[in-house]
Amino acid sequence: MLYGKKNWIIGVLVTLAIFIIPLALVAVPRVQSRQIDNPRAHLPKHPVPADHSGFFENADFKTGQDVTKACLECHPEAGEGMKHNNHFTWTHTYSRDEVPGIHDNVLGLKDPVLTGKAHVINNFCITIKPNWPACTACHAGYGWKDETFDFSNEENIDCLACHDTTGLYVKAKSGVPAKSVNLVDVAKHVGNPTRLNCGACHFRGGGGDAVKHGDLDNSLINPPDDLDVHMGKNNMVCTDCHRYKGDHVFKGRSISVSLDDANQVHCTDCHSERPHADDRINLHTKTVACQTCHIPAFARKEATKVFWDWSQAGQDLPIHNPHVYLKIKGRFVYKRNVIPDYAWYNGKVGDRYLIGDRFDPSKELVLNPPGGDINDPNAKIFPFKIHHATQPYDKKYNILLTPHTYGPGGYWSEFDWDKALRDGAEAFGLPYSGNYGFARTAMYWPITHMVAPADQALQCIECHTPDGSPGRLDWKALGYPGDPMIYGSRQATSETANATMGGLQ
Amino acid sequence: MQLGFKRFLILALLAALVGFVVQGAALAQKGPLHPPIFLLDEDGNNVLDTGRPVSTLQTCGGCHETDLIDAHSFHSQQGREHLYPLGKAPSGRPWDFSQGLFGKWDPIMYRYLSPAGDRLKDMGTPDWVKIFGPYHPGGGPAMTSRSGQPLKDIPMTLGDPETTSFDPATNESHLWDWNQSGVVEMNCFLCHMSDPNNEARIHALRKGEFAWANTATLLGTGIVHPKENGVGYEYNRNMFDGEGHVKHENTFVKAASSKNCGLCHGEVQTEISKTLTYKDLDERDRVTMRTGQILSGQRISDSALNIKGKSTLNRSWDVHLERNLQCTDCHYAINNPAYYEPPEELRPDYLTFEPRRPDIADYLARPIHQFARGPVTEQEVGSGVAATMQRCESCHNYKDTHNWLPYVARHGSKLSCEACHVPKLYAPAIEQNDWTVLTKDGRGVMTYRGVEGDGNPKNPYNLIDGYNPILLPHQDPDGVSRLLPYNFITSWYWVYGDPPRPVRQADLQKAYFDEQGEYRPEIMQVFDANGDGELSAEELRIDSEEKEYAVRVQLTALGVDSPRIYGEVMPLPLAHNVAGSGYATRDCKACHSDKSRVSQPLKLARYTPGGVMPEFVSGAGLEPTGDFIQGEHGELYYRPSTVKAGLYLPGHDRVKWVDWLGFLMLVGVFLGVFIHGGLRVYAAAHGVATHHGRTRKVYMYTFYERLWHWTQAIAIILLILTGIVIHRPDMFGGVDFGAMVPVHNVLGFLLLFNAFFALFYFLAGERIQQFLPEPKGFFYQAIQQAMYYARGIFRGEPHPFEKDERHKMNPLQQATYLVILNILLPLQILTGILIWGAQRWPTLSNALGGLQYLAPFHTFIAWTFAAFVIMHMYLATTGHTPTAALEGMITGWEEVEVENGHDATTIA
Repeated sequence: MLYGKKNWIIGVLVTLAIFIIPLALVAVPRVQSRQIDNPRAHLPKHPVPADHSGFFENADFKTGQDVTKACLECHPEAGEGMKHNNHFTWTHTYSRDEVPGIHDNVLGLKDPVLTGKAHVINNFCITIKPNWPACTACHAGYGWKDETFDFSNEENIDCLACHDTTGLYVKAKSGVPAKSVNLVDVAKHVGNPTRLNCGACHFRGGGGDAVKHGDLDNSLINPPDDLDVHMGKNNMVCTDCHRYKGDHVFKGRSISVSLDDANQVHCTDCHSERPHADDRINLHTKTVACQTCHIPAFARKEATKVFWDWSQAGQDLPIHNPHVYLKIKGRFVYKRNVIPDYAWYNGKVGDRYLIGDRFDPSKELVLNPPGGDINDPNAKIFPFKIHHATQPYDKKYNILLTPHTYGPGGYWSEFDWDKALRDGAEAFGLPYSGNYGFARTAMYWPITHMVAPADQALQCIECHTPDGSPGRLDWKALGYPGDPMIYGSRQATSETANATMGGLQ
Repeated sequence: MQLGFKRFLILALLAALVGFVVQGAALAQKGPLHPPIFLLDEDGNNVLDTGRPVSTLQTCGGCHETDLIDAHSFHSQQGREHLYPLGKAPSGRPWDFSQGLFGKWDPIMYRYLSPAGDRLKDMGTPDWVKIFGPYHPGGGPAMTSRSGQPLKDIPMTLGDPETTSFDPATNESHLWDWNQSGVVEMNCFLCHMSDPNNEARIHALRKGEFAWANTATLLGTGIVHPKENGVGYEYNRNMFDGEGHVKHENTFVKAASSKNCGLCHGEVQTEISKTLTYKDLDERDRVTMRTGQILSGQRISDSALNIKGKSTLNRSWDVHLERNLQCTDCHYAINNPAYYEPPEELRPDYLTFEPRRPDIADYLARPIHQFARGPVTEQEVGSGVAATMQRCESCHNYKDTHNWLPYVARHGSKLSCEACHVPKLYAPAIEQNDWTVLTKDGRGVMTYRGVEGDGNPKNPYNLIDGYNPILLPHQDPDGVSRLLPYNFITSWYWVYGDPPRPVRQADLQKAYFDEQGEYRPEIMQVFDANGDGELSAEELRIDSEEKEYAVRVQLTALGVDSPRIYGEVMPLPLAHNVAGSGYATRDCKACHSDKSRVSQPLKLARYTPGGVMPEFVSGAGLEPTGDFIQGEHGELYYRPSTVKAGLYLPGHDRVKWVDWLGFLMLVGVFLGVFIHGGLRVYAAAHGVATHHGRTRKVYMYTFYERLWHWTQAIAIILLILTGIVIHRPDMFGGVDFGAMVPVHNVLGFLLLFNAFFALFYFLAGERIQQFLPEPKGFFYQAIQQAMYYARGIFRGEPHPFEKDERHKMNPLQQATYLVILNILLPLQILTGILIWGAQRWPTLSNALGGLQYLAPFHTFIAWTFAAFVIMHMYLATTGHTPTAALEGMITGWEEVEVENGHDATTIA
């Protein structure tokens, strides 16, 4: 019977539906219109580390290797993974064809080409070999002091450098734990890596705090909100972006050592491709990297090294400021709050100076120019720290030399360039004429950390200046005929010969 | 003309040709686009040969029609081209005779250009050029007499303000020889160079070296050097080529940029890297000091000014400058082919775009220097080109970008874009300008708004807190009045004589100070209340009869006839310092609440000198729909009235008596219910026998009837609840006003559809009968029912009318529902639809009185409904048992009494 006594429930439902459906039709678009990009939803969930404080009760760890052995008992797969991790190998192998740039003149070039931190040259401390103990204090392993280091022995892996949570773990020369470290205590307190673990090496690259990157220094251990919106305001850790991909492999790449952009971290891992409310700004994202506007300046707290003059080393000067002069290293220039240099960048290196590469010493040699130009659709305008230096080279062969600096007989103890360069050349099997000089070099360091809060991002007029007065971007140097707001975007300029005013259409 | 000119012309045209045909190539080349120029003197000879001042009209006139430019430029003419008889100017002041700086009184500058025939003379034309020249690009009145003759040609007569310089301090007059001083031609350089030397120009003007003023502008280019004797300039031959041109690489001419405009108009900051400091708040920045508008693309938080809460003010001063717009992008020359568009009324209906443009060559020869302007009013200069500018909505699509805003079109018809997008000014602006008294430096007392402490904007210890402009209607070119943000500057000063004139600054100074520059003892005696020999800010104001009298005595003694205090309010519309979407007013309650922006008063003054109420300067386009109100400590405010402006803002406006009447009605019903219900409970508790007649279950309400009833009940209750929030949002702080409005609308339509379907149902099924009272014996039956409620119900008597499925209602119910369902409900729906439809069919709503009548009516009926709901709920408990009726309305089956004599049947 339709009009049954209990059918009033249907009535209630119908009445409710009469109200809820039209109201929802009004409310849903309102709510939807408020939905914004939610980058937080993309953050990885880190595993909760097991409490190790009850373990190792009777352990007697004398060396780092002893600890690693204990780790491997329960985490055997970690050893296999770490053996291929570049934090341990410091080596990458490319076939000759994969190396960008023309390298016909490289003395002693082999195929495949070994690259990676252990095999490339930079314009800070120059090369790892033959100065291992000093450099490998930051190696995720134990005891790499010469060529004989055994990369196949899993026990040589340093687990504690990344997993210590006490802050008391310190590595000494060759990467062995410092004598002061209580290895049992540290082992009992292992956990997920924090900014302190990564920062112990990455904030101090180049021999001290803030020297190398410009966007990575100790101020990021506890950064204020406006220094780094990710690590400061949102208290994120390195592994939130440099994500664990399994087998102890992490995302992350930089053209200071790498040649390609495989495994790179991207802003779009979390943020939308068109994250701005203003379409005018979203139009920029095809051409301008996020970092360009959102990192208005680097080294905003600690000054970073922008120039290193090796040719001045070895003098007894009455300068006691290590940021200005060191006898063993030469003269420096540090800068704070630096406005980056901007260049097209497709994520890969455009060329790479390989050890033994002949070059023209009359010009500044760029060791790692960023890949891409205005005509490369994958390239975007990107901010860089450019580190300039003078460093030793062989005047006869026109190749950069690799001085032996650290250790007995090295330049830092003897202050004898000839001997240091001869030893270094020998270690690499490079010819050395005995006639050395100092060549001007430059290195590009992509700026990608120290992202400022959105309200400090660049404004239109900082690049698109009124009156065409000089702004942040040198349009002509980037390959534009002029401000693209007036002369058209790169698509417009390449498609039409006379694209004047294209940008205004 | 001479050979030189012809060659020049050919060269110039050739260069122009090269410039425009191969534009890209030319732009890429180093060096300026403008062809090389000769600098010519007023006779057309190269200044290198004659050493005389540069004549811009000659120099630029070779290619550009400078005479035409000067004659058709409100910048140069400043009202000279159209002088009014005294007192007939649109500003309405009895002593004004022009729309511009030349002849319109500016109480802040406080100097009066004397018309011919005045006994006490303040300024002649030469004095005007010296004093107002810094704000004037030359030409117009600095070259041409009031009647249109060249100043150099008019006969020199002592006492004629055109050829006499007056010194009001000594009352001496000096004959002025325009041929000797030269005239100030329209200064092309001032606007068409990247770095004109305005200081040198002003210096030359102040010294009276008028002919050299334009040449002085070039100081700093290397082309000119000051002469050793200090008068005039000489030319640096190294900057010229062999033929006498300024060398191409030294050519300084370029299109005018915002920086040039800023020289006279106000603080314009074009260099993003330069921090804005207190030094930039220059008194010469007319617009900035008068309105607090700073034209800069820089973030407010980046400025060095001590602005309250600066760190969170991450918006730019002006979003348009942030987006790289130049002044000339909106204020373009009206025949600029890039922008030229004939006004709509001159365009036939079949055209939306006029493709025919003035030729670029014609434009370059005759660039009309009338710049497009917004809806300026007739009291201002340039009113002839008012509303030539593109409006906000010519560039911006506000309808699509404001889809979050309910009633977009309605808002657009009542608000200017600026009303929300110029929410606050973050620099100090002049508030009160009191020239009835003089400070020690001989100037009037000026106070600023938007700054704390003693109100001195240049004192870094005074925190700048900015100010909210006042919102008042302004008649737009489309004839619609929209609310526009304003700053008001209120000035008081002495006037004298009949016809009146403002008392001259020099006379005031003589009235207040003795020859040593000290306040006169007579003044000190009445002003110095505490006798410390100093006049504090509180003492230096005319707030008593004695003070006013003392000053009047001094003025009269100087021969100033019948001095009296006059006050005026100068409204200054604000269209710059536009905030982008993130910083514009967005919260509905900013306006739709008790403390509405729309009625937020603006402080006019800290005190009222002489108790004189100021009057609005007329012709400003402002509709002064507000009231002057006096504050507790003598401050003067102006409070806008939405009622006077013909506005009704839901949430802000309400008619008090309507709400009171409704409220009393509701309270009455509550009281009635309370007393009646209390008596029933009392009766029941004291054992009054309830009637225990026979009862039976009747299938009283069909499914549809119940559905209709409950839909209506829920809709009405929700409508009342959302309606209260919309009516008094200030009482419901946590509720989103903006969400309540669409919810109320949806509910309203549900109520309408429900009523419509029910009407159909009842009409089609003849069930309408149950609602219709039986005319025969209606009154008797109604009284019978009323008596039951008044007496019988307490005695446990049976209901006078038996209820069954055909007779659900007693006569009183029938009458009530007849009124509710056939009169109140339709009226409420109708007024609701008209309010909702105010933006769809504004004419229909307005024909019925607009929101001002519809909304209070709607509110009153809402009160009636609220009262009915209470009463209805109570009377539903008077059935056989208190819940019987409710149960019936839920299940359909109601237990009713069966009275003797009636023989109802069921339809089971």
